Amino acid sequence: MSIQLTEGVNLHIMPTEKYKTVRIVMKFRAPLDKETITKRALLSSLIETNSEKYPTQTALRSELSSLFGASFGTSVTKKGKVHILTVSLSVVNEKYLTMSDSILTKSIDFLKEIIFNPNVSDGHFDKATFTREKENLVDYYDSIADDKQTYANLELQKLFFDEASQKIPSIGTKEDLAEITETSLYNYYKKMLQEDQIDVYVLGDINEKQLMTQLKEFPFESRGIIQPELFYKQADFKKMNSKTESQDIKQAKFNLGYTTDIFYLQNNYYAGQLFNGLFGGFPHSKLFVNVREKESLAYYASSSLDTFRGMMIVQTGIDSKKLDQVKEIVTLQLKEMQIGNFTEEDMDQTKQMLKNQLLQSEDNSGAVIERTYSNQLAKNEVIRIEEWMKRIEAVTKEEIIEVANRVKLKATFFLSEEVK
Amino acid sequence: MIKKHYEQLNETIYTATLSNGLSVTLLPKNEFHKTYGLFTTKYGSIDNQFVPRDGKQLTLVPDGIAHFLEHKMFEKKDGDVFNVFGKLGASANAFTSFTQTSYLFSSTTNVDENIETLLDFVQEPYFTKETVEKEKGIISQEIQMYEDEPDWRLFFGILGNMYPKHPLHIDIAGTVESIKDITAELLHESYNTFYHPSNMNLFIVGKMNPEEMMELIKSNQAKKSFSEVTEIERYFPEETVDDIKPFDSIKMAIKRPKSIIGIKGIGQAPKGKEALVYKTTMDLLLALLVGPTSDNYLRLYDSGVIDDSFSYDFSLERTFHFADIGGDTKDPETFSKVIKEILLTAKMSPELNEDHLVLIKKRMIGQVLQSLNSLEYIANQYSQQSYGEATLFDLVPIIESITLNQIKQVAEEFMQESHMSVFHILPKEDGKE
Repeated sequence: MSIQLTEGVNLHIMPTEKYKTVRIVMKFRAPLDKETITKRALLSSLIETNSEKYPTQTALRSELSSLFGASFGTSVTKKGKVHILTVSLSVVNEKYLTMSDSILTKSIDFLKEIIFNPNVSDGHFDKATFTREKENLVDYYDSIADDKQTYANLELQKLFFDEASQKIPSIGTKEDLAEITETSLYNYYKKMLQEDQIDVYVLGDINEKQLMTQLKEFPFESRGIIQPELFYKQADFKKMNSKTESQDIKQAKFNLGYTTDIFYLQNNYYAGQLFNGLFGGFPHSKLFVNVREKESLAYYASSSLDTFRGMMIVQTGIDSKKLDQVKEIVTLQLKEMQIGNFTEEDMDQTKQMLKNQLLQSEDNSGAVIERTYSNQLAKNEVIRIEEWMKRIEAVTKEEIIEVANRVKLKATFFLSEEVK
Repeated sequence: MIKKHYEQLNETIYTATLSNGLSVTLLPKNEFHKTYGLFTTKYGSIDNQFVPRDGKQLTLVPDGIAHFLEHKMFEKKDGDVFNVFGKLGASANAFTSFTQTSYLFSSTTNVDENIETLLDFVQEPYFTKETVEKEKGIISQEIQMYEDEPDWRLFFGILGNMYPKHPLHIDIAGTVESIKDITAELLHESYNTFYHPSNMNLFIVGKMNPEEMMELIKSNQAKKSFSEVTEIERYFPEETVDDIKPFDSIKMAIKRPKSIIGIKGIGQAPKGKEALVYKTTMDLLLALLVGPTSDNYLRLYDSGVIDDSFSYDFSLERTFHFADIGGDTKDPETFSKVIKEILLTAKMSPELNEDHLVLIKKRMIGQVLQSLNSLEYIANQYSQQSYGEATLFDLVPIIESITLNQIKQVAEEFMQESHMSVFHILPKEDGKE
């Protein structure tokens, strides 16, 4: 059930007795803008760390502990042309506790405190907290680059996209971070609370009336409803971008970025799922079978889709001496897809796997909320699972071939383990 | 079939030991779409010296063979088992740890066929010289991928310091060199020794009718013949406190330094349910000392010595137990010095007080309940069978029963300087920025 708390702020209640927890997820959505990505990333760290009522991490974590280890966290993501800051809290259903406390009520009070009363004085965030979280974010940028698979992916995105806001990761950049002050950040936070489109999801075994009364007390102001464009569509391109870098590591990474016209729940979506599954999404896919099983060139070789940006990424971990051979196989396998060199049996298996994957994700309360949110963003409605499965089942070979033929290589990044 | 109902958790567990020795556990959860099956042998990377079934002499096998065997189990004469599961709409996988190898599927359709596929593929080995050789390329890439993962290297760095003789220090996948010595014959020898049903357990959780499921498993097993149940003889080198290497460090192509402290458990850890009590006591101790509600955590976080990557853990498995505390840090020297100090003065620590304990118990109980949403988590916990009859479902009363005095006593016994070791990973300075 969905209701409008105020203009631009919607509450979605999803009753179920399946889980031993109640999950509350709040999504703050704004158009993707290079100027605000880093601010939002830093905000997500700050509101996760402390607040006015819980001014230290220990105070905040003690409150969560007393709520029977309620798990609380924030995160930032990009979906196409929007940026999303997520605040989520998951708490044990009271009926499984011998000491019956009203922990759901207290948990919602906790969220209200965190969001509406941050650790602020004289119009700026607490200086000490701000400085530390800023430093931590710098360190975090370094540590994600220490993960070579992530690093190779981020570098590929830089090469692949033309727009600055798409090139940078959802957690922002060091350069933009340096410009932010405790005052400018608080000003932006107020703007975010006033202007972002907000969706609140509550999933679990709950008393709807009581929940609604409590959430209606959240002092959200009404805001204009904006439906910014969701999908990022690639402009035509003439030249492919390639880059090679060397580091003193053991395994090289070769990643390829392709443009596609597969967009979330749009025309080619279901055929696109099959294309990706057959090409590199599963252990029976062409990439896995040919790069790994037949030629023993890699432990992993897979493809994945970003259906909000019309992108497909192929990732491989290889020996750099084998680069040319891997390149050749990946190119050839895409050709095979484009000329329809796959069997009915392969298609059936892929359909089975996709349906299984979707049904399994329905067993995870976090995944259920994510799917609902994405559905609402893309379609303004929730697609029933049966409908989704029917559409997958109906995909034909011709449709897959058509999708495959619109896939075009745009960028490659090679992280070599050979240091010259 | 024995039925056990856990009133407070509203869960019912069914167990049976079949005539061939296989231990079977079923946990119906019919409000879920999926069924998850986990088939486990008590054979992991540490089991590298043993007397082979049909043999008399202790033999030493190449490092990484248990993991190699796991990979090779998926290949059959008529192709890859992944495809069989795929056609049945299931996803399949496997993993090897220090003490066990597990094979799994999860599916929302064709559950009976998937169970039979799981049992059959693990119980019908097929290795040839050619396929064994081909797998070496794939696993070499897997090993090299892990060699570039700093947190993995940090963990094995501290294990190497604490367990220089015990095979725990050996990377689960072995090395690019060691796997070269693996042959189809050696795989058969390991398989025959460790994949006997009496050394294995099957855990199924999710949508099912338990009576029908048990019948299906029984009739599948009744069709197969196995050799007699015999005790497996494994050998592990003795280690003393003097073997512990107090410090080591390496350099890698990273930007953020890392530090980890290990405390090795010396002597025999408790067994059965007592082992779960001991582990839980240790988990409470670490949470009191350096968990997110401790003043220690706040002080170290605020001074920039630790960050969100900070973590602590206590492991207790067949033949070993240890604690480890580590994370990213700008200053590894300070990190290890301060943490060591906290551990060595643990018994006197103001963090060990009744109010703090009540708070942490609440958190831990809540976390146990939350974890019961995950069928995978429940299955993985159950299949370890580290605690005799006691399981995840007994954890809440155990947490409630542990006293501050018990925790202080464990702190005094366990936190010995001579049992501690430190490992650092530093950025390579010559790396171009």
